[in-house]
Amino acid sequence: MRFEQLIEQYHDEIFAYLWRLLGKASSRDGAADVEDLTQDVFLRAYQNFERLRAGSNHRAWLYKIATNCAYSRFRGTRNGRGRLLRLKDTAIDEALERSPSSAEAVAKSRLAQRVRNLTNSLPTKQKAALVLRYLQELDYAEIAAIMNCSEPSARANVYQALRCLRAALSEER
Amino acid sequence: MSHRISRKDFSLVKRLRSGAGLPPADAACHSRQRIRDWFATAAPVIHWGAMDAPVGRIFVAASGQGLCALNFGVEEQEFVRRLDPRARLDSSPSAVAPITGQLKEYFARERFHFELPLDLSGLTPFQCSVLETLLRIPLGEVWTYRRLAGELGRPRSSRPVGQALAHNPIPIIIPCHRVIASDGNLGGYSGGFGIETKRWLLRFEGALPPASVPEGKGR
Repeated sequence: MRFEQLIEQYHDEIFAYLWRLLGKASSRDGAADVEDLTQDVFLRAYQNFERLRAGSNHRAWLYKIATNCAYSRFRGTRNGRGRLLRLKDTAIDEALERSPSSAEAVAKSRLAQRVRNLTNSLPTKQKAALVLRYLQELDYAEIAAIMNCSEPSARANVYQALRCLRAALSEER
Repeated sequence: MSHRISRKDFSLVKRLRSGAGLPPADAACHSRQRIRDWFATAAPVIHWGAMDAPVGRIFVAASGQGLCALNFGVEEQEFVRRLDPRARLDSSPSAVAPITGQLKEYFARERFHFELPLDLSGLTPFQCSVLETLLRIPLGEVWTYRRLAGELGRPRSSRPVGQALAHNPIPIIIPCHRVIASDGNLGGYSGGFGIETKRWLLRFEGALPPASVPEGKGR
């Protein structure tokens, strides 16, 4: 596969992955942050493209680079999760104020938002595993390769993430 | 420990999916364009084109440094696939016209050596030195693998020399077909139709009288 094709085929998917992983708000600032990170991913991919063996899984390889870039970003952001959480809450509240809908829709939206916020507050590995499995729909073998861990460990991370979310939601009821 | 997803978790996953949504389309579009723009300035360009010749359709490609690939006996798709995957490709007959022009002159017996800048950047220093030495073999002559190794100052390295020839990215112009085995066997050739193409080129150049060399197959 040529690098040009890699951009066309996987950019949007990687962008969406980073968007979800970083829990970005629907604001221009949030988009710029994800854009910068996406560019870092493709730059790193370009620098290492020659070393990629023929027949490799390009998609999983890009996800791996994206995950590592996101980890670096998390490490470089002090209290990053809390800050992102606040950004997200504000954005949704503003959106709801802008277009008020039925009470049921608002309740649903708030619940979805709550799940998303709880996801944002998960430990980085669990969050990445959960997003890769259920939002990006990768299989466990790919997730294990991306996260540099065994397949059972990838499954365990997803399981733990779901357990945390379930526990947090039941506590609120 | 079992990691099966329960029915409750399925509903949780459903909420997670509905909550996650997608980034705004304009943001993704903006990012994609930004990366395309970066690639357009960062990646080297390779111009390529094709021409018909007595040995079949010849494909050539040139980077900013010079001619980097020549191939025949392959499909266009295969030729393009083998070019540096990080480069931007530009199908441009006019950009490679100096190359195809000299090849046409060669096949019309109007040119006896090529004057083209070559880009051998993808090769090891040893491979480069082997291929550069090949350029000294005049049209109409053949060297043996042993003599080529000797010219390189490595008389016992006939085999590595042969392997370096197999990596020649620019056959015909770097005349690896002018190297044969010491016993007169033609040796190997991977271009075009293999050994038959090598024989055809040597006869065309007058290095090989039609019946004087055994037609055994080599490496």
